[in-house]
Amino acid sequence: MATPASRSQVLALYRSLLHHSSKFAAYNFRDYAVRRTRDAFHAAKGEQDPAKIQSLIAHGEKQLEIVKRQSLISQLYGGEKLVVETKHQKILRRH
Amino acid sequence: MFRAIRPTSTLYRASALYKNAAVSSPARVSMAMNFARMYSAGAGLARSDVEKRVLDILAGFNKVDAKKISLKANFNADLGLDSLDTVEVVMAIEEEFSIEIPDKDADEIKSAEQAVEYISKRDDAH
Repeated sequence: MATPASRSQVLALYRSLLHHSSKFAAYNFRDYAVRRTRDAFHAAKGEQDPAKIQSLIAHGEKQLEIVKRQSLISQLYGGEKLVVETKHQKILRRH
Repeated sequence: MFRAIRPTSTLYRASALYKNAAVSSPARVSMAMNFARMYSAGAGLARSDVEKRVLDILAGFNKVDAKKISLKANFNADLGLDSLDTVEVVMAIEEEFSIEIPDKDADEIKSAEQAVEYISKRDDAH
């Protein structure tokens, strides 16, 4: 993360991606979105090239729009919970 | 004939009602007071309780060495968490206490103690 500005921007993007990802009603999509977000950010953690960082941020922002839209739709059509889901599952804690 | 009887019966009934009312009125008052709940009274979290819950959240992270967990421990320097992990710790805290922490406040939280400090300032945490 080259500059402090992009650093806080990346962290804010990470926060909102995780926030919206954990709102999927469907277990499989929720788990995937959270895992995918986490993996992608950790994989690109050491990235130094400013141009690459900018393109990754742009990609993340596009994904955020999709996650926002799809998690909302998922909530509208939320179906039953799977057997593996417990009432108080804290999805963000597992890793 | 009936009309002659009626006034006495109503009189009797009225007095009976009055008697009942006199007896039951204190009970009615206390009942009314029971129903008036004080919704505005904040529950308030005990500091020791908040501390325990925050430390439990940290203990739930696999990356964190359980022996190093303490209130003073800095997430980055002492617990070896990077900035991405810190975001996740703060989000777990948000979830635990049912609050939303705005970005600028979330960036300030760098140790369990600071988290406890912040939560004790928030009235809507529970």
